[in-house]
Order: sequence, then structure tokens, then C-alpha cells
Amino acid sequence: MNTIFKKTLKFALALVVIFTAATLLTDSVDISDVSTVHLKAEKPWVGADEYAYDPGQADTPEKALASKINWTILIFVILMILVLANALDISKYTAKITGRETVNQNNVNKWVFLLFLILGFAGVIWEYINHGKLILLNDSSSEHGVAYDSMFSITLILTSIVFFITQFLLFIFSFLYSYDKNRKALYYAHNNRLEIIWTFIPAVVLTILVLRGHQTWKSVVYAEEYHKGKINTIEVFAYQFGWKARYAGQDGMLGVADYKFISGTNELGLAVKSEVDALLIELKEQIADDQKTIKNLNTTVLDGLMADYAAADGVKDYKSMESIQKEIDAVKNGDRLDELEESIERKQKQIERILAIQNDKKLFVSTFTPASMDDIIAQEIHIAKDSLVTFNFRSKDIIHSAWLPHFRAQMNVVPGMPTKFTFRPTKTTAEAKKEFGPEFEYYLYCNKICGVSHFNMKIKVVVESQAEVDAWLKTQQTPFTKKPEAAPIPAIMSDSTQMTNDTLKRVALR
Amino acid sequence: MSTATIDSHAVGHHGDAHGHHHKETFITKYIFSTDHKMISKQYLITGIIMGCLGMGMSLLFRLQLAWPDETFPFLESLLGKWAKGGKLDPNYYMALVTIHGTIMVFYVLTAGLSGTFSNLLIPLQCGARDMASPFMNMLSYWFFFLSSVVLMSSFFVETGPASSGWTVYPPLSALSKAMPGSGVGTTLWLMAIVLFIVSALLGGINYITTVLNMRTKGMSMNRLPLTIWAFFLTAVLGLLSFPVLLGAGLLLIFDRSFGTSFYLSDIHLNGVGALTNSGGSPVLYQHLFWFLGHPEVYIILMPALGISSEVISTNARKPIFGYTAMIISLLGISFLSFIVWGHHMFITGMNPFLGTMFMYVTLIIAVPSAVKTFNYLATLWKGNIRFTPAMLFAIGLVSLFISGGLTGIYLGNAALDIQLHDSYFVVAHFHLVMGSASIFGMFAGIYHWFPKMYGRMMNKTLGSLHFWLTFISAYLVFFPMHFMGLAGVPRRYYQFSLIPEFGIWMDVNVLITVAAWLGGVAQLLFIYNFFYSIFKGPVASTNPWESNTLEWSTGLKHIHGNWEGDIPTVYRGPHEYSRPDRELDYFPQYEKGNGEPEHYHGPVTVADTSYDGKKEKASTVFFSSFAHLFALKRA
Repeated sequence: MNTIFKKTLKFALALVVIFTAATLLTDSVDISDVSTVHLKAEKPWVGADEYAYDPGQADTPEKALASKINWTILIFVILMILVLANALDISKYTAKITGRETVNQNNVNKWVFLLFLILGFAGVIWEYINHGKLILLNDSSSEHGVAYDSMFSITLILTSIVFFITQFLLFIFSFLYSYDKNRKALYYAHNNRLEIIWTFIPAVVLTILVLRGHQTWKSVVYAEEYHKGKINTIEVFAYQFGWKARYAGQDGMLGVADYKFISGTNELGLAVKSEVDALLIELKEQIADDQKTIKNLNTTVLDGLMADYAAADGVKDYKSMESIQKEIDAVKNGDRLDELEESIERKQKQIERILAIQNDKKLFVSTFTPASMDDIIAQEIHIAKDSLVTFNFRSKDIIHSAWLPHFRAQMNVVPGMPTKFTFRPTKTTAEAKKEFGPEFEYYLYCNKICGVSHFNMKIKVVVESQAEVDAWLKTQQTPFTKKPEAAPIPAIMSDSTQMTNDTLKRVALR
Repeated sequence: MSTATIDSHAVGHHGDAHGHHHKETFITKYIFSTDHKMISKQYLITGIIMGCLGMGMSLLFRLQLAWPDETFPFLESLLGKWAKGGKLDPNYYMALVTIHGTIMVFYVLTAGLSGTFSNLLIPLQCGARDMASPFMNMLSYWFFFLSSVVLMSSFFVETGPASSGWTVYPPLSALSKAMPGSGVGTTLWLMAIVLFIVSALLGGINYITTVLNMRTKGMSMNRLPLTIWAFFLTAVLGLLSFPVLLGAGLLLIFDRSFGTSFYLSDIHLNGVGALTNSGGSPVLYQHLFWFLGHPEVYIILMPALGISSEVISTNARKPIFGYTAMIISLLGISFLSFIVWGHHMFITGMNPFLGTMFMYVTLIIAVPSAVKTFNYLATLWKGNIRFTPAMLFAIGLVSLFISGGLTGIYLGNAALDIQLHDSYFVVAHFHLVMGSASIFGMFAGIYHWFPKMYGRMMNKTLGSLHFWLTFISAYLVFFPMHFMGLAGVPRRYYQFSLIPEFGIWMDVNVLITVAAWLGGVAQLLFIYNFFYSIFKGPVASTNPWESNTLEWSTGLKHIHGNWEGDIPTVYRGPHEYSRPDRELDYFPQYEKGNGEPEHYHGPVTVADTSYDGKKEKASTVFFSSFAHLFALKRA
């Protein structure tokens, strides 16, 4: 028995040595080195729109590294299985020979519990110290962020105390009261006084947390009521996959915008008469095109595809052959027809709805206001330090979420439902760079799964002085003011001046 | 099964013996079985297979997160066009994340956990011959099986499986042009979920009926093991909340296929143009989804808590501390779980006032949860703990439940949720409290009742190793994630290297992935141990853990009807361990005894000033009156 034991031990030891060597081999390539990551991260900003994943780019050293990692994983898996199979063998052999368990597993587990308690607490404290430095706490760049951070700190302290006490008790009880055949457990089924105590204490603590949380929550979500005064409203527009900011022009008002008005030249769908008229014409043309295609679907369209296929076949371009074949199939099985009919219906409905607005005098007046003419559309968000800013969120397509971690601000962007977030930035980008490093920038990230480029959907946020914001605004595009003659203000618009600021805002939100 | 067994069994079976005389074929015994023990095994093995698939997916996408700029040639051979050149496609990353979540939440931790142990234990621990409706029970499993097949088949469609997250929020999931996975993949996902709900409802009705109507003589509600209480309340939760998900799913199907606008409004999609849908609200779906979604968390967790109560009490050789308090906590959690769904939606643009209300009720849930934790600790105190693998996992569950539960206090707070929502903090939170803790409960159950299911023992050494590796891996994977979330790292990102600020977390991502693979390897031990022991494990004794509950009074051999003779009568509660008035440290529920009182009221050995006979009596009266009120108590 002894020899078997020794042999297995030697075997296991050898395996561990091999494994360590394999690990070291991988380590020498420094896969986890932060510096290499930074190097890669400094690649020029890839516009979210253009982002297309190209798998063919992996170069040779990376491939070599990858195969090493694969090998490490494989060796790791095999080793684990072998070592454990051996461990199993040992206990089997010993049990067979001695007729009883040689190792008192209960004792082993008891000591491992103690070890886990000590190492676990050491690990947790290490995490608190080392990773705790990296978390966003007490470095907020917004006014409400300070209240948030204090709320967070209180919760952190209370839960940490409970965490350490209860985990300590759990593991220490496991260590102290492990099985002993000469001892009998204490028969102790219940104690109502204890139950009441440990119901009451959490209840009180949670009440305190809830009340404080309520206050913090209120001060954030009802910010306008808490901070009277001028609010700078900026529209933040989300689409697959990017963000745009819209600022009010000279008039200080954001014009009406609607998803129905979105076109190639009017990405945000501003209510600009000339643009909408152009869109109507475009839509009608498209419908006519679609109808034409339907008419010729089984004749010229199919023939054209067949010819394309033959051409692709000639040069052995299998990729395009495959895609053309799919199109041919779609024509043949009627999918293409369904698609076209649906598209026509959709466009007709869009025209109908646009006309409904144009033909309704009241609606027309409240929609096509001069306010949208001078709106500024920007690729960055610039906000002034210490001013109260409201982001009005609008989504073009699906739900996104605007997260500004350094401002402790987040709000979902929901199609068909206006949302907003009001806050007051308190640190300029320059000040933040001093604190977080020279490469630091504020970003607004998308934080709701929204499709293939979700992970690359962000917009830069710059906090600076009011004067700098104003100067920057002057350099930004106002897409529809350059050609005022193309958008004559109809006579009907004259009474729009009577509309109050509020009504306009409400309409803008819709 | 020998004829002798059938006969003796039939004798004891009185009126309903006729059903058991016809010959059993392979198909009736192993496939379309109506026996609750076989159905439970079917659930377990399907659950284990789905669990392996779900975990495998997480291991694949963890590779992408740890080494975003590397290529893994084996991925291409595994996934084909979805990992060209050995790099995971972003769409497929989303698909893996989505299906991993779906499988783990529904197929492993709902069906695999609750389906297995409710089926196995409800009849055995209540003292019933089988479920109230064995045929429905069989249907329940086969709907589940069908649902699994439909879900997995979505991996073989051209546009890939559903990829809008396991919550499949519309409009993303409703518009096939929004992402490839929202095409056929999502249709299959919805079909699978509809089938799953049918299965859950068929099972749930059965569990409730059996617990209420088919308990043996003497098994009053306040003598039920806590496992049964947990399964019972879980079934009630499922029965009340799954239909709402069915509604949500059907409306989504309408929106996707029949042009309705329940969830859609004001959408202009790239490459399509302005949609005709108008007037719907995507937030409506979220309300409906989380009306199931939150009770679902407890549908997952409560069976695990029930199992751990039973395992801890048995292996600590102590009565579970505060049996009544444990039941009241379960009732409290069940009730509250229905009115807290809004805490998943604080920042969806929902009225902030609603946010306040949801925050209040959410944080109240922490009270019954805390009571349960303290009761576990008190049960361990001065116990005589046997570290069977099941006990190790049960202790692990309590540890993970504490760690994950405490972060719930942050997320339930509307103010803190503004920052933490959809960050890695959330990922860490629910993986600890709902994922790991429940999986640990499931493992505890498997190790504890394996002798009951297969008549053999699992290897203890391998079990302990499995536990320690899994436990360490769970903490290594999920603990650092809290800090990532707090530093502003969003979840469901395919790659972080495009954002310089997240660069500092790359080495942590590597650590997490390596730890996850370690956890994955540890599961191989379990798989080996499980399947090896089914066939080659040492034969178990009738009551290997010296447990009190009724399931250990049946023979080792599985027979239709469970008990060969009469169903035993129950004389006392399930947790009478280490009674000072008994020599043995356990006192089975079915043992008549020599006139001992139901509870031992003798002198308590420690100086215990708070022990108060009067108060205890008051609580008993309160509880019994409650039981009488609902006609739950049996004489």
C-alpha cells in the first residue's frame, strides 16, 4: 500500500511541476500585462457606424500566443483530471486495504474551513485595498454624486460589518463543532427572544437605509424642483450604434423632432418643412420603384439575378454566388414579394401620417416652428461646469441606456417615451485629467444591450467653462440654417410666436 | 421488479392496487414513466446536461473577455462561421450570453432543481404513493424536454439563437432587422419558453395538490420538513407568476409576427425606415417580464434554501433553529416577491414615485432573508457537524447567500441603482445569490439524496474536492466583479479594449476566466462521480445519513407506490436530532417511540435565560390557529 501511495504522490508531483512550467511559459509572454492592452486601446477611435468585425486580421505572433494559451488550458484540464483520479485511487486502495478511512475527512474539511476563512478574509481585504482604489467613490464629478457617494459609503460600511461577522461565525462554527463521536449536539430548537432580536435589528438598519435612500433618490430624480434656476436642456439622441447631441440655437429652444421625419439628410428627424417635403417626394419615388420591381419581379429582376449568378460563377466567386442564390430563392418563393409589399405599406403609412400633421392647422403650427431651424447637432456633448444640465433622451430605434459613470447618472433611452436626467457637473475635463490621468475623458456609454456594436457605442462628454461651451457651439453644425430660402416660413406660422415656451417644450418631447 | 415485490406491495396498496399489475416495458419504465422517482431522475439528468451546456457557453465567452485580441482556433472548429479565424463573432457572443442566462435560470435552476427535488421528495417526505396526478407529472417532464430541444435547436438556424439578453427586451427582440438573433432564433426562444411554462404549470399544480391533500396520517403542515414547505411555496409562486410571462411572450409573438404594437412605438430602423407601429410601450414588456422575473428569483432560490435547511439540520445533528420562523420567513419572502418587480426598472423612465415604493418593499425582503441566515448560524452552533459533501455545499450556500444577499441591499436602493444598474456589480450580485447559491443547493440535494435515487453512494473524497474547487472558483469569479462594476464597467460588452478606461481591468478579466475554467474542470469531477456512482458506487444503507424524514423509511429498491406495506404514520416533527432523552442522536418521524413528548421540554443544558416556555406556547398557538384557518392541519 505504501508503495502505491508513494508512486502516486511522485506522479502527482511531476504533474504539478509540468503544469507550473507550462504556466510560466505562458506568463513569459505576458498575456495579462496591462501595458499591451493600453497599446491596443490607443488605436484610433473606430466610428460605431463603420465598425465591422474583420476576423482575417489576426497576425502570426498573436496566433502563436493563442495556441499556447490553448495548450495551457488543455494541459490544465488533463492534469486536474489525472491528479484527481489518482486521489480517488489512493482513497480506494487505502479503504480496500485497511477496511476503513485512513484520512479522517471530517477533520480535513474542518481545517480547510479554517484555512478558507483566513485566506478568504485576507483575499477580501486585499480586494478592498487594491481594487477598492479603482472604484468610483468620493471622486464624483457631479453635485448629486456627492450624496450618492455618501449613501454608498454608509451601505458599504454596514454591509461589510455584517459580511465579516456572519461569514466569520459560519466558518468558525464549522471549524469548532465538527463531528466527534463522543459528543452530542445541543438540542436547541428555538428561542423566540433571539428571533425577535434578529428580526428587529435588520429591520431598524434597513429602515435607516431606506429613508436615506429615499432622500437621495428624490434629490436626484426631482432635481429641477431642488435646484431652481436656469436649466440648459440638451437632447441626447441614441441610435444603433451611436449618440448625437442636439443643442438649441439662438432662440434657446429645441425644435420639434419626430421619427417620421428621419431621412438621410435629416438624421434626427427635425421638423423642417423643406426636409420633410423632400422626404415625401423620396418616399413616393421609393414606392413607385418598389411597385415597378414587383411588376418585373419574375421577369427582368429574376433574369438580372440569374445573369449576376452566371457572372459570379464565371469568376468562381463563391461568396457572391451564395448570396445571389439566396436572392433568387427569395424571389421564387415569394419572400421578396412579401417584403416589397410590406415596405410599400410602411411607406404609405408614413406619408399618410406626415400628411396628417401637415394638413392639421394646429398640429402644423406647433410642429414646424422656427425653433428647429437653428438647432445645432454635435458629435460631442459639451456642458458647462456648475450649470444645471438636463439631458432629454430620445431613441431612434430600440432601447439604449445612457450611462455617465463619473457623474453617477444613468437613464434608459426608450423609443416612443421621452426620458430625462438632470444633474450639475462640478469638475471640468481638465480638472478630471489632473485627478484621473492625462488620457482621461468623460464618456457616455450605452448600457442596455442593443445589438452587435453595443460595446462600442459611446460619445465624448466635455465639461468646461460656459464661455468655452459657447465658443465650441459656434463651431458646430446647424444643418438647416444655411439655406433659409429653402425653408420659407409660411404665413400660417406667424401665430406660432404666441405659443409659450412650455408648450413648445412639451411638443418637442413628443 | 420481482413478482414477490409486486404482490406484497399490492397487498398494502388497498384500493388502487390494480394499476400496478400490468407488465412494465422499457418504454413505460424509463421513458414515459409516470413514477415520480423516475421523472425526478429524468429531470435531474436533463438538468445536468443543460447545466453543462450552459456552463460551457459561459466558458467560451469568458475567453473572449479575457483575451479580446487573441484567437482560439478550436473555437472555429466548434462554432464554424460564428468564430471565423478563432475569434468569437460579436453577435454570437450576445447569443451565448443570452442562452447561457436562459438555460441557467429556467432549465437548470427552475426545472433541474425544483423539478428534480419536488418530484422526488414531495411524495416521499409527505408520505404519498405518488403525485396527485402522475400522468400530468409525466407530461410536465416531456414538455420540459421538448422545450429544451426547441431551445437548443436555435443554435442550428442560420441567423443564430436569440441574442437580446435572457430578458429578451423588445424592441430589440421584436425586430428581426435589429440584430440577427432576433429572427428565427427569438421565435424558437419564445416557443421554448411557452413550452417551458406549460411544463412548470403542470408540475406546479401537481406539487401543490400533493402537498395539500396527500400527506400521510400525522403529517400536519407543521410537521412537514422545510424542504416541502419550500417546494410548496415555490410551486405557488410559479403558478401565480408564470402565466404572466406567458402573456408577455404571447404579446411579443403578436408584435413579431402579426403586426401588433403592444411593445412598439415610434421606431425608425436602419435599413428599414419608419415602422408603422405606434402607441405601444417597451416598458410594458418589462413590467410583465419582471412580474415573473422577480418571483422567479425566489422560485430558484427557495428550493435551495429548503434543501439546505434539511441538509444542515441532519448533518449538524441539531433541530433546525426556529422552524416556525423559517416558515414565516418563507411565507414573507413569497408574498413580498410579488410586489418588488419594479426594482429591476428604476431607471427605465418609470415614474420616480413608483421607484420609491418598490425600494421600500424591496429592502423589507432583506429582513426575512436575514432571519433565515441567522437561523442557519444558530443551527450550526454547538452542533456535531458531519462534513458530507452535501453538508459542505449547504454551508457554501449559506456563505454565498450572505455575500450575494448583502449586495442586494445596494441594488434595491433606487438611488444607488442609478449608478449600479446593468453594471458588473449586478452580474456579481445575482450570480452569487441566485446562481451560485442555488447551484450549491442543487449539489447539496444531489449528494444528499443520491442514495435515495440510485441506491448507491457517491464518492466522498471527490465530492469534497468538487466542493472546494467550486467554492473557491465561485468566489474568485464573482467577487472581483463587484469592483469592476463599481468602477463603471458595463455588462454585456463584447470587448473592453476599445475603451482605454477599462484597460486596468484586463488582468482581472484574465483571473476571472481562469477561475471560471477551474470551476468548469471541477464540474468534470462531479460528472464523473455522478455517472460512475450510478453504476459502480458502493451500495447504500437504507438510512445512510441517519436522517429523520420519511423518505428513508422506504426500501432501497424503487417500487411503484414507494412503501411495500402501509404508509408509515408520522409522530413528530422532522428535526428531532440529538434529543437528550434519547440515546441515538436522531428520532425518525415514523418511529413511534416510547411515549416521548413531541418536543423535548426538559432542562436545557446551557445557561439560557431567554428560554421561555410561555412564549413558545404562544407561538405554537399562533401557528396552529393559522394552520387551522386554512384547514391545513391534520389530526
